[in-house]
Amino acid sequence: MADDAIIRTTDLVKTYRTPFRRKRVEALKGVSFEVGKGEVFGFLGPNGAGKTTTIRCLMGLCQITGGSATILGQPVPSRAARQRLGFLPEQPYFYDYLTVGELLDLGGRLFGLSHAERTGRADRLIKRVGLDHARGQALKKFSKGMLQRSGLAMALINDPELVVLDEPMSGLDPVGRKEVRDLILELRDAGKSVFFSSHILSDVEQISDRVAIVVGGKIQDVGRPRDLVGHAPLGTEVVLAIPPGDDGGVPAVVADIKARADSVRVAHGELIVGLAAGVDVDDFLAFARGHHGKVVSVTPRHETLEDLFMRRVEAERTRGAQKAAS
Amino acid sequence: MIHRLWAIALNTFREAARIRVLYGILVLVVGANLLAVVLGEMSINEQSRVARDIGLAGISLFGSLTAIFLGVFLLYGEVQRRTIYTIVTKPIARWEFVAGKYLGMVLILSVLVALFTGAMMALLTWQGVAITGALGKAVFLAWCEVLTVAAIAVFFSAFSSPFLSGIFALALFVIGRVTPDLRNAANDAEATWIRGVARATLEIVPDLHLFAISGRTVEGKAVSVHGDFVSWGYVLSSAGHGLFWILALLTFACVLFQRRDFV
Ligand SMILES: Nc1ncnc2c1ncn2[C@@H]1O[C@H](COP(=O)(O)OP(=O)(O)O)[C@@H](O)[C@H]1O
Ligand SMILES: [Mg+2]
Repeated sequence: MADDAIIRTTDLVKTYRTPFRRKRVEALKGVSFEVGKGEVFGFLGPNGAGKTTTIRCLMGLCQITGGSATILGQPVPSRAARQRLGFLPEQPYFYDYLTVGELLDLGGRLFGLSHAERTGRADRLIKRVGLDHARGQALKKFSKGMLQRSGLAMALINDPELVVLDEPMSGLDPVGRKEVRDLILELRDAGKSVFFSSHILSDVEQISDRVAIVVGGKIQDVGRPRDLVGHAPLGTEVVLAIPPGDDGGVPAVVADIKARADSVRVAHGELIVGLAAGVDVDDFLAFARGHHGKVVSVTPRHETLEDLFMRRVEAERTRGAQKAAS
Repeated sequence: MIHRLWAIALNTFREAARIRVLYGILVLVVGANLLAVVLGEMSINEQSRVARDIGLAGISLFGSLTAIFLGVFLLYGEVQRRTIYTIVTKPIARWEFVAGKYLGMVLILSVLVALFTGAMMALLTWQGVAITGALGKAVFLAWCEVLTVAAIAVFFSAFSSPFLSGIFALALFVIGRVTPDLRNAANDAEATWIRGVARATLEIVPDLHLFAISGRTVEGKAVSVHGDFVSWGYVLSSAGHGLFWILALLTFACVLFQRRDFV
């Protein structure tokens, strides 16, 4: 059967066992998802959700307990697949006595690249990840961000079809994060597939074609970000400027507004009013204008990926608490 | 396959060459040889004996201890510091990684044995002690022993911590050195269970005594680097014994390593 998915996991289960102790951790409880060719796929989840564990299983670093996984059409672990992919581990640590050039040379040798290919690619990649100035230094003198860049270069040394990155933006400053996002988009434009994990929503939301939200070792949602969130408006936010009351204090109308609204906050002398989904916005605006209110802005509120993400995390936390209680 | 093994081996060599302890051991061995000179001066007529014996003992003892030290830490360190993540996720088989690591250890241990030997030879020449063919055979046997001990250490470190691996490897080194006593026990001990244990132990322990036979009896004949020594036939068959154990131990190490989770 032809399998055109770049990554496919089916009911993937991973249970960590600590030898000699009877401790078992069910890190993955049946994870199923698919990454298509040419896609940037964001694997989003809070700390401890099972992102790294999923990636370890895919990379053949640990044996899967149950279910199945294929990568580039091959069941894991597969050496043939590893020849065609690049991998950046979480918080990568490399031989600290090497320079970045020597590290890439070692990587290139393991892929069986010729001397000319190794040096040519290493040179380009070192420039691409912005480490040209640090060529002479041993990796032990590198900062966390520089190590992360070295790891990215190492992941690309074989010009892979698929790049798997575990928390590629962690430990980077805003500029570094932006650079990694740009690099990922550049890889996609070059026709490569990218699978990356992150616990930071904005990083995932900005560049992913599709995302999976993983919480508590289970996939909660998979899809394009705009398909995941509901489209019915959650309500409307109205910002009003209201002249002060006769005595210079809070105008009397505020009490009426509070009665009609879901929430009311005061910021910078303006009233930020949250209206529930069913409320007639035109009617409310007419009422406010009738009391000398000036409408500053009206914004319909839709569910964001963040709302969904927080809801999933909350639900899991409640489940965990209930389990602990029973 | 060869280029991948070689890449791992060279990197292992580089890593080992940066371990300061090794330079300390080198100083110790040279010191022991110098001590042999002093002791030799005190014992008239025995000068050459003491110098050769201490020189050889230095090679096999310090060589073997270094082999245990490297074997126990080099493989484990890769897992501990997670450097292994970026290596075993490349298209390399795990057995290639283990074999490459061992090959790297062989490189560094060979350099060390060569340096130890060089130091011994220099002092012997300085003292005017003859460097004989027997000495060459003895050094070769010591080198075989060191490589066998390294394989023992790698085997244990494929599944246990450096501390435990070190203890196990050291125990096997000591037991391997006293196989003649075990053989006596297997044949002559009063209690049958002692005979049984001794016999069983002989089956599962590399016979390291084969490599350090100067001053002992081989096939009913006393042999010594100072006089009649073993034949090349003996040397080769001992080397073959060592090679058999190295291959067996590395095979087991690879099988165990294959199944490990790196987390
Ligand atoms: N080596 C391990 N042994 C036991 N439990 C582990 C191990 N590694 C991770 N876990 C547990 O598995 C779960 C998932 O962890 P992980 O995959 O690292 O999450 P993430 O990468 O999403 O932060 C967590 O509960 C974590 O404590
Ligand atoms: Mg993680």
